[in-house]
Amino acid sequence: MLKNIIQKEILNNIFSSRFLVTFLLLVIIVLATSVILTNDYVRKQDEFSRRQTELENYLRDYAHFNRIGGIVNPAQPPLAFYSLIRGISLEVNIEKFDNDPLPVMFPLIDLTFIVTILLSLIALLFSYDAICGEKEDGTLKLMLSNRISRAEILLGKTIGGTLTLLIPFAFSLGLSLIVILLNPRVSWRGSDWGALGLIVFAAVLYVTLFYCLGILISSRHRSGSSSIMTSLFIWVLFILVIPSLTPYVASFFSKIPSKIKIDREVSRIYDTERDELGRKLEQERRQEVLKKYPNYEFMLPREERQRRIASDPGFKKAYEEMTKAVQGAWDEANRIQGGKANLILKDQDRKVEQQMKLSIYLSMTSPLSSFTYLATDLSATGMRSLSHFKRIVERWEESFGDYMKKKIAGLREKDPTIDVWNSTVDVSDMPRFQYIDERLLDRFKGVLPFLTALIVFNILFFSAAFFSFIRYDVR
Amino acid sequence: MWAIARKEIVSNLLSYKFFIVIILTVILIFTSFFIMYKDFNERLSDYDIIKPTPEEAIAVLAPNPLSIFSKGLDEAMGRSFESTVIGITVRAGQKSGNEVFSFFPTPDFMYIVKVVLSLVALLFGFDQISQEKERGTLRLMLSNPASRAKILIGKWIGNFLSLSIPFLLVVLLGFAFVNLNRDIHFSANQLVRLALILCVTLFYMALFLSLGILISTLTRKAAISVVALLFIWVLMVFVVPNLGNLFARQLVDVPSVAGLSEKRNQIWTREILLATQDRNWSDHYSQINRDHGLLEEDYRNKFNRLVRLSKNINRISPVSSFVYAVTDLAGTGIGEEENLKKAVIGYNNSIFPEISAAVSDREPRQYPAFQYRYRELSEVFAKGTLFDMAWLIFFNILFFALSYVAFIKYDVR
Repeated sequence: MLKNIIQKEILNNIFSSRFLVTFLLLVIIVLATSVILTNDYVRKQDEFSRRQTELENYLRDYAHFNRIGGIVNPAQPPLAFYSLIRGISLEVNIEKFDNDPLPVMFPLIDLTFIVTILLSLIALLFSYDAICGEKEDGTLKLMLSNRISRAEILLGKTIGGTLTLLIPFAFSLGLSLIVILLNPRVSWRGSDWGALGLIVFAAVLYVTLFYCLGILISSRHRSGSSSIMTSLFIWVLFILVIPSLTPYVASFFSKIPSKIKIDREVSRIYDTERDELGRKLEQERRQEVLKKYPNYEFMLPREERQRRIASDPGFKKAYEEMTKAVQGAWDEANRIQGGKANLILKDQDRKVEQQMKLSIYLSMTSPLSSFTYLATDLSATGMRSLSHFKRIVERWEESFGDYMKKKIAGLREKDPTIDVWNSTVDVSDMPRFQYIDERLLDRFKGVLPFLTALIVFNILFFSAAFFSFIRYDVR
Repeated sequence: MWAIARKEIVSNLLSYKFFIVIILTVILIFTSFFIMYKDFNERLSDYDIIKPTPEEAIAVLAPNPLSIFSKGLDEAMGRSFESTVIGITVRAGQKSGNEVFSFFPTPDFMYIVKVVLSLVALLFGFDQISQEKERGTLRLMLSNPASRAKILIGKWIGNFLSLSIPFLLVVLLGFAFVNLNRDIHFSANQLVRLALILCVTLFYMALFLSLGILISTLTRKAAISVVALLFIWVLMVFVVPNLGNLFARQLVDVPSVAGLSEKRNQIWTREILLATQDRNWSDHYSQINRDHGLLEEDYRNKFNRLVRLSKNINRISPVSSFVYAVTDLAGTGIGEEENLKKAVIGYNNSIFPEISAAVSDREPRQYPAFQYRYRELSEVFAKGTLFDMAWLIFFNILFFALSYVAFIKYDVR
């Protein structure tokens, strides 16, 4: 009997005009999006490799250790998933002088948009009259005069309705995957497929959830025309309003001290004050060394210094001690001021994280946010991937720091008088940054709360629909 | 005609649809005003903390009170731009730390009107003709001595009034609430801008009402017309403007902002390195400033071409015209942001010799404060807003004319 209901529901939907419209709309939008996003991805790849070449050219001519940190700072390469999911747009880049305000005005369209906004709307459009429509047609009475329980009818309707919705979705997604993978520049690995599978599974949950919601609303109304109004009302709240409002609400409750002020303070501590402290310490240490070696004159022209180092081992020893003392003074200044700056930054980071957590929890009252976080995190284009990227950059920075130390020691070995900070060096042997995706299993573990939220919504709406339907007056 | 308008208003007042729509509008507009007003207050108090002293060569723009209604790029415009010898250091405000903000659009008045009120206006229009036909009242109406044109106009006026009067009341109430705060002053110029924004909003709602009526004259059953109009709505509000931007990007080659920042870094580190070798510091400082200026100019040219193209593509959907008109009028649009950047660069260049000298002799200086004047209304109008408004009116007339043609041919049986 359940099978009959499902079958009837599917057939009924497929031959309706709204199915045809949905099908066409989805295919067109999904295809257009994937073609445009794939082209954009390829352009991003080109741009990225152009930037790498420019960087190499720069390093060949001007690499010097004093200011190399900002230059070799790793950039995130374009990800294969960009042709489906864009995630957080890094292009906005509001912390630099050059910014690109277009995505702020009109956010991009990708698979997350198609699922969260389009599919939820479509699910409601298919389900708003699932109960009250049949009542108006009079078929509900007929159906219930058969030997079938209301639970079975509801379950059959949910399954059948969701399946019909998935047909156009699966078809259009399949088409777009063909378009994407036919492009020779796009190559997907196993973990990408795994992530896509999980995202599609979550999308199915998301669609079912809205279908159940539609049935719930439908079984609380006597006519289709009022049911559609309520459905749209709730849809607007869930999809358009709650996600946008919640981060603001969170920012009112969990405050962050003025970010600009702290940034200025940190840069003052780490620039101006560091230089002052460094100069002071350098002076002191110099005096100490000078006291120890009163007979030597260090302020000589470079050639003279080199000559004396070669000829006089005593001078060489004193000179090396002097270099070490100066370096020690600056290292200490860096350590002290860096510690101060870090303390402030850590506190700030903690507060930002608190606010983010609160925003995420609050926004999870809308299934749209849960799905958005889930899809972007799984595809490595979301908040999780930003912190993952930060982590692997930190690891690389450590290895680069070791490399720099070794290289500086080597340079001093060769020529003790060299200014290691401001002379050009050959860094072609430096450790290269390799972008590695976070393991899929870790990503999956990270999105479990969002997945749970989707499942909870499903159960909630389905049981609510069940209780309203049991009490539904079919006359 | 007025009888029909009155009948429409009365029947609307009694309907479930009207009830839902009014509740939605009231809740949303009030929440949005409240949230954006609080947000503005927080930004204002943050601005008080970061306001530069005369010793600091920093340009910061105070938050724009009109951003309560249309935030647009005000967050980007309120950043702090510090002039240094190695370039302009930019620091972004409170919203840049919390990444959740970048997932979802800002819930300001502009957004509420753009997505929710357009939907509401469509819902008012979608069953105007087809429902009366289904009920059989259309025949009765036409058996009276009323021409079809009059019926259509009467319906339009009745629905427009029952939509816009509650809306305007709510907005005025919300505005009064915002005005209660003494920290927020609206100058006469800003009030004029606000009135113009409301005017554009009414055009926009009228447009969707006409579209709803058009769809209802083209379909025989209300159930079909609701599906059709929701899909058209999604296309117009979400798909066309957003895909249009991406599409324009494929035609115009614009360097990525990450790439630009890398280039800026390469320029200043190179010049400083050269300066440590030849000791000619001030020359290299000005070289940095020059090169950064060239970079910015090149990017600006390309970016402006992209903006022009994407604007023209996006205008296929009148929703984009609405967004452009409102943000430009509020002074939070793309044009204003460009203007601000120009002003910042001008300020930077004017005090650059002082900054460069201050670095050499380590003497603190007093710098003139950064002054910014928003573009005049006449300039805003000339740079596209007039066109956008005309474009909205054009769509209004087009949809109404089409629905008139369709209604004349409508089979009322």
